Amino acid sequence: MSQTATALIAEQWAVGVFVLAVLTLCVFTAGVASLLGGRSWGRAKSLPFESGVVGAGSARQRFSVKFYLVAMLFVIFDIEAVFLFGWAVAVREVGWSGFWGAAVFILILLAGLIYDSRVGALDWAPRRRPPGPAT
Amino acid sequence: MEVAFYLSGLVAVLATLRVVTSINPIHALLYLIVSLIAVAMVFFALGAPFAGALEVIIYAGAIMVLFVFVVMMLNLDEGVAAQERAWFKPRIWLGPAVLSAILLLVLVATLWRGDIGLVIEGETLTAKAVGTALFGPWLIVVELAAMLLLAALVTASHVGRSQSPDTRGDES
Repeated sequence: MSQTATALIAEQWAVGVFVLAVLTLCVFTAGVASLLGGRSWGRAKSLPFESGVVGAGSARQRFSVKFYLVAMLFVIFDIEAVFLFGWAVAVREVGWSGFWGAAVFILILLAGLIYDSRVGALDWAPRRRPPGPAT
Repeated sequence: MEVAFYLSGLVAVLATLRVVTSINPIHALLYLIVSLIAVAMVFFALGAPFAGALEVIIYAGAIMVLFVFVVMMLNLDEGVAAQERAWFKPRIWLGPAVLSAILLLVLVATLWRGDIGLVIEGETLTAKAVGTALFGPWLIVVELAAMLLLAALVTASHVGRSQSPDTRGDES
């Protein structure tokens, strides 16, 4: 029993060190910053800052439905990534037939991606300004 | 593994309860994310790591992004909490609660009559086995899923198209 435990520790100690290093780094940066940083309070300090201009208006504005479209496309390609994840972990077992199957899978969805980009579904902005640079 | 199963199952139940009873939609969404991750942990504890990873990637990742987008677009303001509180009356939630209680009774009775000696265990179904099955004998199903996703892509692009067709040529 202790033999297997020792073997487990010997195999996994690097992960433990990694986790410990991450935690130490986070605690160190947050703690030292809170100890060394100066503090000041004031009425203007609690105002939202926007390049020296006092903020105006409400944060609740209407968003274009196009952003929702981008989220939908993200879900679709996320599912494609899940299928490819299943293929990637078994790439040696399924061999060339699995490879060509995955290639056809990717090509079918690539056709959809090209269609979407040609139709303009991938443009973020609701309306494009005529001379505007591509952003 | 049993401890992990029951603990994450408890977390899932409690978090889902808070999803239902939460007044603030964003708080409900956060609890829903916790609930989905707990269900993923249940899958891991049952020995289905691929299903667990799927739960995290698709549900806790992608579907929750959609939910957050919807909440963002609804433009919720201060009145929402009051409205939710007004809606959250026994007259509203009594019906679904009673029906769910009947389902719970059926479930408990079935478990009670079943084999009491069953424990939480099972063969671990690795992601490699799932991938081998998926891209081996079930390759046609994968291609059909690709067709389905292609249809979803085309449909999404048409749903998101603005009402007035732009004057500039789309098919350039």
